[in-house]
Formats: sequence, C-alpha cells, structure tokens
Amino acid sequence: MHWTEYFPPLMEGAWVTIQLTVYSTIFGAILAFAAGIGKLSSNWAIKAVSVAYIEVFRGTSLLVQLFWLYFALPIAGMAIGVDLRLPPVAAGVLALSLNIGAYGAEVVRGAIQSVHKDQHEAARALNFTPRQTLWNITIPQAIPEMMPSFGNLAVQNLKDTALVSLISLGDLTFRAEQIRNFTQDSTTIYSMLLVTYFGMALVLTAIMRGLETYVGRWRTARS
Amino acid sequence: MLFGYEWDLSSPLAFAISILPILLTGMVVTIQAAVLGFLVALVLGLIWAVLKAAPSRFISWPAKVVTEFIRDTPLLVQLFFLYYVLPEYGIILPAFMTGALALGIQYSAYTSEVYRAGLEAVGADQREAARALNLSSARTFTHIVVPQAIPRIIPAMGNYLVSIMKDVPVLSVVTVLEMLNVAKIVGDRTFDYLVPLSMVGAIYLIMTLVASTGVRLLDTWLPKQGIPLK
Amino acid sequence: MTTFGKTAVMALSAIAASALASTAVSAATLAEIQESGTIRIAVANEIPYGYVDPMGEAMGAGPDVAKAIMEELGVENIEWVTTNFSSLIPGLQADRFDMVAAEMAILPDRCQQVLFSEPNTSYGEGLLVAAGNPKDIHAYSDFAENPDLRVAIMAGADQLEMMQKLGVDEANLVTIAANADAISTVSTGRADAYAATSLTASGLADQNDGVEVAGEFTDPVIDGVEVRSWGGFTFASGNEELRDAVNGALADFKQSPEWSEILTGYGFTQADVDGSATRTTEELCAE
Repeated sequence: MHWTEYFPPLMEGAWVTIQLTVYSTIFGAILAFAAGIGKLSSNWAIKAVSVAYIEVFRGTSLLVQLFWLYFALPIAGMAIGVDLRLPPVAAGVLALSLNIGAYGAEVVRGAIQSVHKDQHEAARALNFTPRQTLWNITIPQAIPEMMPSFGNLAVQNLKDTALVSLISLGDLTFRAEQIRNFTQDSTTIYSMLLVTYFGMALVLTAIMRGLETYVGRWRTARS
Repeated sequence: MLFGYEWDLSSPLAFAISILPILLTGMVVTIQAAVLGFLVALVLGLIWAVLKAAPSRFISWPAKVVTEFIRDTPLLVQLFFLYYVLPEYGIILPAFMTGALALGIQYSAYTSEVYRAGLEAVGADQREAARALNLSSARTFTHIVVPQAIPRIIPAMGNYLVSIMKDVPVLSVVTVLEMLNVAKIVGDRTFDYLVPLSMVGAIYLIMTLVASTGVRLLDTWLPKQGIPLK
Repeated sequence: MTTFGKTAVMALSAIAASALASTAVSAATLAEIQESGTIRIAVANEIPYGYVDPMGEAMGAGPDVAKAIMEELGVENIEWVTTNFSSLIPGLQADRFDMVAAEMAILPDRCQQVLFSEPNTSYGEGLLVAAGNPKDIHAYSDFAENPDLRVAIMAGADQLEMMQKLGVDEANLVTIAANADAISTVSTGRADAYAATSLTASGLADQNDGVEVAGEFTDPVIDGVEVRSWGGFTFASGNEELRDAVNGALADFKQSPEWSEILTGYGFTQADVDGSATRTTEELCAE
C-alpha cells in the first residue's frame, strides 16, 4: 500500500478521536464543576463524595480506570444482577470524562477560591443568597482564571484518547495499528500518527486560547 | 500460575490474597520503570532547558519546537514509535528500557519547563546584587541562582514523579510486566478481571498517596531560602 | 442556575443517557438477529484465520465461511469487530458481539466458557524464527530443553498450555498482545521464536524478510499425542439456537466446493481440510 492510501482510514480514526475528545471534555467539564463546587460545599455528604471522587480518579492511572470500566464492571454487574456491560465507546468516554473531571475539579476549586473575598461581602450586603452569589458573582469571575489550566487539560485529554485504542475502539491510534498490522510499515505510519496528533493539539490549543480571550473580555475592558 | 505463585479460585477473597504476591511483583517493575523514566526526564529536561535558553535563535527555536511536539503527542504513540521504529534503524532496546526511555522523553518536555520557571523565579535583584558584589556569572549561577531555585523545582519534580508512576501502565502494550499487565494476564487466564483490576486500582491509590505525602513532606522540609551547593 | 443552564445540562444528560442506553444491547438470539438483519462478528486480526484489511473488509477462512453461512440464514448485514485474541471470549461473555469467526481452537477449558460450532478447519503448529534460524530451533520442546531460549506467544492463545505441559519455564515466555507484534518481536531478538499455528507463522513470514518459518518442524507431542487443533465458530454460553443454526448452515456449506476452495485459497493443505471432519465438537470438549 502506498502511504497516501493510509489517509482514508486514518481520517476516519481522526474523526472518532475528535468526537471522543469533544464529548469527554464536555462531560469532564460538567463533572469538574460538580465536584469542584461540591468540595467547597458546607454539606459534609456532598463534600465527602466530591473528595472521594477527586482522590480516587486523580490517584489512579487512567489506563487502569479504562480497563476496569471495560473488563471488570460487567463482572461486578453480573454479581449484583445488573447489566453493566458498557460498549467500548461508553467505557472510553466515561473513563476519560471521569479522569479529566477529577483534575478539572481542582482547577475549578482553586479558581473559585481565588475570587476576592470583597466580592462575597458585597454580594452579602446586596442581599444575594449564597446560591445566587455562586452562580452570578463567583463563577463568572472564576471562569477566566480556569481557562489556561483547562486549555492544558483539554490537550492532555486529546492525548489520553489514544489509550482507548487498547479497548478496540476505532480511534486514530487503533486505525493506525490496523494498517501497521497489514503492512508492517511502522516508520511511515507512526510518523503520520505523531504529526496528526500534533496538528490536532495545535488546533485545540488555538481554540482554547480563543475561548480564554472570549471569556476574559470583561477583564481587559475594565482598564 | 504466574511468577511461581498459584492462584486459588475458591472464593473472591482467596483469589485476591493468592494473587497479591503476583501483583506486588508487577508493582516492583512499575516502580523501577517510573524511577528510571524520571531520571531520564530530569537529565533530558535539563538539556532542553539549557538549549531553549540559548541566546542563538538557531538553537533555541528548534528546541522549543521539539519540546512542544513531545508535549502535544500521546505517550502511547511515542512508545510505539520507539519500540517498533528504532529497531528498523538498528537500535534494539529491551522492552523495559524502551518504556523507561519513552516515559523520560515525554516528561522531559514538562521538566524543562520546571527548570526554566524555577530559574526565572529567582528574582532579578539577586543577580543584580551578585553583579554589584563582583561575582562572576559562573559563580552567580552556581552559588546564588541554583541554590535558590532548587526548593522551587523539587516539589514540582516530585509531582511529575507521581504522574510518571500513573503513566507506567501504558508500557504494558510493549510487554513490560508491570502491575496492570500482570493483572490483565491473570484475568485472561482465569476470566475474572474484577478482582485483579480492582486490586491494582487499590494498590495504585496507596502508592500515589504515599508518594504525594512524601513530596509534601519534602516540600516542608526544604529550606525556603535555598540549599547551598557546598 | 439560569433556565438556559438547567436546560443545557438536562439536554446533555438526556443525550448521554440515550447514547449509552441504545448501545448497551442484550444478547442477540437467532430470532432477533434474523429480524434485525444484523449480526456482530469478531475477529482477532490473525492472518489467515480471521482479519480485517485497512479498509475494514473482513477476510480469512473464518469470515469468508461466516459470510456464506449468514447468507444462507438470511442475515444480510455483518458488523465486523476487531479485538485482541484474549478479548474474544470475554467479549462474547460481555455481549460485545454475537459470534467469533477467528477459528479459535476447540478446547475443553474454552468449552466451559463459551459454545463452539462443529469444526470448520483443522491446523497444526509452527514456529516463526528470525531469518536464517540462527538459534536452530525446530520444535516447541527446544524451549524446555534450552533455558536460554525465549519464545513469544499470543495472549489468550492455547500455545501457553502447550508450553506449560512441555515444561517450559514461565520466565522464558514473552506474551504479546497482538499477532502483528510477532514479526517485530522475533526479528529484533526480543524473543527467539513465535509459537503459533503453522499457517499463522507462514502468513507472518510472507510479510517480512526478517523472519521465516522454522524448517524441519516437528509437531509438539503432548500426553503422547501429536498436537493438532480444530477451529470453529464461537458463541456466547446460552446461545444454543444460534449455534445450532450455524451448524446446520455450515454442514450444508461444507458439501459445496466453495468451502474447500476458500480454505485452500488461504493456504490450508488438503490434509487440513479433510482433517476438519475427523473430530466433533463434543469429542473435543470432553477431552
């Protein structure tokens, strides 16, 4: 096979990788907010769950989490009589989201805590409820703080999607392995693979930087 | 049976206890790979940091592109590249070495940033004061800048060591018998993945807790002003 | 939370839930498959038993016969899944696919986990070595006799049991995850040979000049019998209906000349083709 013939399957794989990255980053962001805010909650039950989630998913390897969800969860489900057989797509997105959600939670927490105390006092003086303060005052100011770290996490997530090829999910790395299986042309394929990931990462970084600027526009407008 | 230990399939608990020595054998390999990879990352990262700080654009710019490339591509693919492509050009390394090398290269991109940030964080006033005291730039570097940079660098490096430990399971794809690979082999042969994989998760949790506590202790123990190199 | 925020979160959760739910199908019986017209069949990328070319087209002794069988059963659409060999049985058990067409060897241990069809092929063992056979290896027992030699086996394959029965030490075994890794493993000296079926070895040898099939190979003798394997289609435990339907269609198909043409086309010898009829699955499972 000529190396240009590698493009169609690789592009199909790249599309799967992009979808995986988008879905898992969005779900991960939702989890990050939930756990990050939860960790700051005064309700000890919510706090305990958030802390447990963050510690477990930051403290164990992503590949271990992925294999566990794919291989071990069905067996656990059979033991309690529930059908927990996740298809590779579900296991992959779930593992990636849970993992990035745990790292993101710390970023969210740090950003929320960095919002100046004066803001909280002013909100109190204006009779805002704690919930209103959180959603209308704290979070909008915290978001620009989070964006640089989220940018890094998004690129990290993109790189992590390569691991789902190990549970036979047809992403870019999986398709490349299939071609290599057939042609044994390791150098060309892996070089193309590296360059493709690099390209996607650069695009993702540019998008995240753009988002950073968009979200932080009110900051520059002040001065 | 694996590594000479038989497993006992009579009950989940018996199974768990019987495979514990097997998993711990894998854990030793995990730690060895992590430490070796970390050392490679420390050395290589220093080289990148020096190159990136070079005054000549011809040296610093390619170094920046290379480290950016390493940062933005997955460890798994870099590992495949080293394992399958290098032999085609005559460089055949055993799987363990290849794995440690891949870890080291991937993390060298991050450690070079730590070096750079640590060195830059030493205030300009320190360098000015050294200039005023007529210290040569070499002495300034070794006696003033580096000792103050170390307390900032070490905790960050410690955190990367913990991250490297969590990335070691990727090495299972090139037959390195680290903990996850061992658990998977046990699962393949007994068709029970739940017990081995859960145990691996638990052991990892313990390992990272111990390691991060170690890093935090190191951070408090290090004198903030700096460690003299004498 | 603003109304927009609430709706957004609910919409996303709904999409997620439906995506997860719709893909978590339960075990497909014969009736369901014939009704939906789709069956999911897995292969392990092992040339020539069952593999997928880069475009996604399934080829090999298993897939080609499976296609003919499915046509007879009235199932128009086959969804091909590629996975690691060691994930074939767990995949059936976890209902990731309905059938396996990788010509898995019918063995008593496996019969306890899954159902097999009647044998489709029979095959013997072989060894892949580096070009020129520098270590002069000609049999599986060489690894038991010479503790300096290392042999590679595929994860989940029955060569493991063979090696264990021949007394090869665990430390001399290198387990690779996929068949394709064998060429690199053997040509770079990471293992001195790859133990697989004779056809697998010759298939790999054709792909690369750095490796070759070990000549003057003697079949491993275990428990006084020369090892020969019978490969068939695999189904999840409990799916007897599907297995019986496939058996019926397979028996019919074996009468036609196309069947042996397919097999010989992939490199099976006439002896292999004839040999597939000499044992029944019941016999093989009971050993």
